[in-house]
Amino acid sequence: MLERRVVVTNRLGLHARAAARLVRVASGFTSGIRLERIDGNAAADAKSILSVLLLAAARGTALRLTVAGADETEALTAVCELFEHGFGEDQE
Amino acid sequence: MNKKANNERSERRWRGVAVSEGIAVGRVLRIHSGGLPASVFRATLDDEGQITREVRRFRAAARLSRRQLRALKRRAEKALGVEHAYIFDAHILMLEDSKLLEDVETLIRRERANAEWAVKVVADRLLAVYAEIKDDYLRERSSDIEDVTRRLLFALSGEPYTRLVMRDAVIVAEELLPSAAAELDFEHVRAIASDAGGWTSHTAIIARGVGIPAVVGARDLFRHARTGDEIAVDAVSGEIVLHPSARTIERFHATAMKSGRRTRHGATDIQPAPLHTTDGIEIVLRANVELPAEFPDVRGYGARGIGLYRSEFLLTQRGVMPTEEEQRAAYLEVAGLAGVDGAKIRLFDLGGEKIGAGENDLERNPALGLRAIRFCLRRPDVLRSQARAVLRAAADGHLDIVLPMISDVAEVRRARRIIDEERARLEDEGLACGAVKIGAMIEVPSAVLMAEHLAREVDFFSLGTNDLVQYLLAVDRGNDGVAEWFRTLHPAVLHSIRRALMAAEAAAIPAIVCGEMAATPAYAAILVGLGARDLSMTASSIPRVRQALAKVSAAEVREIARECLDSDTADAAEEVVRIRLGERWPELFLPEFLPAPKREV
Repeated sequence: MLERRVVVTNRLGLHARAAARLVRVASGFTSGIRLERIDGNAAADAKSILSVLLLAAARGTALRLTVAGADETEALTAVCELFEHGFGEDQE
Repeated sequence: MNKKANNERSERRWRGVAVSEGIAVGRVLRIHSGGLPASVFRATLDDEGQITREVRRFRAAARLSRRQLRALKRRAEKALGVEHAYIFDAHILMLEDSKLLEDVETLIRRERANAEWAVKVVADRLLAVYAEIKDDYLRERSSDIEDVTRRLLFALSGEPYTRLVMRDAVIVAEELLPSAAAELDFEHVRAIASDAGGWTSHTAIIARGVGIPAVVGARDLFRHARTGDEIAVDAVSGEIVLHPSARTIERFHATAMKSGRRTRHGATDIQPAPLHTTDGIEIVLRANVELPAEFPDVRGYGARGIGLYRSEFLLTQRGVMPTEEEQRAAYLEVAGLAGVDGAKIRLFDLGGEKIGAGENDLERNPALGLRAIRFCLRRPDVLRSQARAVLRAAADGHLDIVLPMISDVAEVRRARRIIDEERARLEDEGLACGAVKIGAMIEVPSAVLMAEHLAREVDFFSLGTNDLVQYLLAVDRGNDGVAEWFRTLHPAVLHSIRRALMAAEAAAIPAIVCGEMAATPAYAAILVGLGARDLSMTASSIPRVRQALAKVSAAEVREIARECLDSDTADAAEEVVRIRLGERWPELFLPEFLPAPKREV
C-alpha cells in the first residue's frame, strides 16, 4: 500500500469537472484508491464521483491518498499528477 | 367530433418578438425547465419475482439514461466545444457510480419498494448530505444530482427526458436556457418559441447563430401548447398560431415562398468579392461569432474576417476561467478561420452572474454593474491572462482586442497599460507576440459623447448597437414587457451612431458597426446612409445584406438616413424607413422586413 499527501490547487476545488477527471483516471486502474481529508471529516472512493464530490474539497484542502493493488505505483503517479497540475484548470 | 373537441382545435394566436428570421410550420415539442414526471409513488412488491423485475427495470433505466447522456455529450462537444461537454461526463459517471446503483438496488430489495421510490429516497439522502457542504460552489453540485435523478425518473416512467427531436419540431419553452439548448438536435428543429426573452437574449443569439427561426416573449404559449400540436411560427412578424387552419398554413407557406425563406445549409464557400454600392462605395461585411457551431458559416457565407468574437463563450456555464493556454488555442483557431482579414477579440463581456460563486453578491442591476471592462480592471489577473493569450496567438494570425463597455477614456488607458506590460513580460520570457490593435466598444452613451477624445486613444471603434439602444433609451433588452420601447431606429440612437462614426472618420480610425442591427437589410442600408462602411453580423445574415447593399446607392440612402435623423420620434423615423426604402427599392425591402406600420394603441 502506498500513501501520499496531496493538495487541491485549482481555484474551484474538486468540482464536477475535476472530479470527473479524477474518477476517469482512477477507474483505469485495478488498485483500490482512497482519498481522505487530513482533517478526518470525510473519506472517498476515488472511483465514485458521488463520494469524491462529498469530500467537499475546496482549494487548499489537504488529502491523504492511499493506493493498494497490483498497479499501485502507476496509479499513485497518475493521480498525483492530476493534483499537481490542478486538473488542468485555472490555479490563480 | 363533439363540440368541445372541436373548440380545442380552433386557432389560437400569440404575438411575440421575432428574433431570428424565418417561417416554419411544424409540431410542438415542449421543453421543461424542470419538474419531476408525475409524483413519485410508493408501491410494495409482493414476491421475489417482482423484486427481480424491479431491479432489472432500474438497471435498464440507468442504461438508457447513460446512453442518452453519451449522445448528448457528443452533440455538445460538436456544437459547443469540448470545454462545455464535461458536465455530461460528470452525469454519466454518477450513473455508473456503484454508490448510487447499489444503494438503489439494496433499497428495492430490502424495502420491497418500486424503483421510482428507491431512486427518490437515495437521491434525497445524497442531497441532504450535500446540503451540509460549506463551499457554495461545491454545494451547487446538488443540482447535478437533481438533474440525474430527474433523468432516471423519466427513464423509468417511459417518458423521454431528453426529447428525441421529431423531424418537424417547433421547440416551445418558458425560457430556453443555454443548457437546454445544448440538448437540442438543431438539425431537426424548425423553429423556437418561448414565453420569455428578448431580442438579445442568449436564446435569440443562439437561434440566429444556428439559423433557426425564433419568436420570444410569447407570454403564456407554453401553458397552452401540448407536445404534438400543430403550430405555425412567423419569425418575421412575430406571429404564432397554434392549431393553424389549412388556410393559415397555406398563408404561411406563401409568405415563406415570397420572402425566399433562408435555408440553413445553403452556405457554400463564397469568395468574399468586394461589395460596392451602385455608386461605387465599398462596404465590408464581417461575421459576429460566439459558438464553434457558427465557425463553418464564417467562410461559408463569405465574411471578410470576424468583426466580433464574443470570448465569454470560453467560460463554462459555471464560470470556470479558461487557462491562458486554452484561450491561446481558441484564439488561434479563430485567427485561422478569419484569415488575412483578421478577428477582433472582445475581452470577456461578463458580470457577476457568470463568475464563480462567492465572488459577487447578486447585483440588483447587473447591466449597470461590475461587468465587462470594469470586471477586467477589477480582476487584472483575468485581463492579464486573456491579453497574454491574444498577444501570443497574434504571433501566428491577425488578431485585435476590443475593450467592452468603455465609459471613460481612463479605462482605455488603464487597460492599454496592462496589455503593454504583458507584452513586455512576454518578450522578456522570450515568447513571440503579434501586433495587436486595441479598439473600444462604443455602446455606453458617455462614450458617444466623448467619442472625439476616445478616437485619439484607440486604434478602432466597434459600435455595439444592442447595448447602445439599451443604455441610451434605458430599456432592458431582456425584458419583453418593455420590448416596444426598444427602438433601434430612435433618432437618438441614429444621432449617436452618426456621431461615433464621424469621430472615427475625423481621427482616421476604422469603425465597425457590429450590433445585430446590421443583420437586417433595411437597417444595414440606413447604417450605410449614416456613414458606416464596415458592418459585422451573424454570418448567416451576410448574403441577404450583401444582396441588398449591392443594389442601393450610398448617396440615396444618405438622404433617407438624413430624414430619419431629422425625425422627432422613433415612429416617424420608422415611417421614413418603411415608406422611403420600401418605395425606392420594393424588390429589395419587402414589406414584412420593414418596420410595421403604426397602429394606434
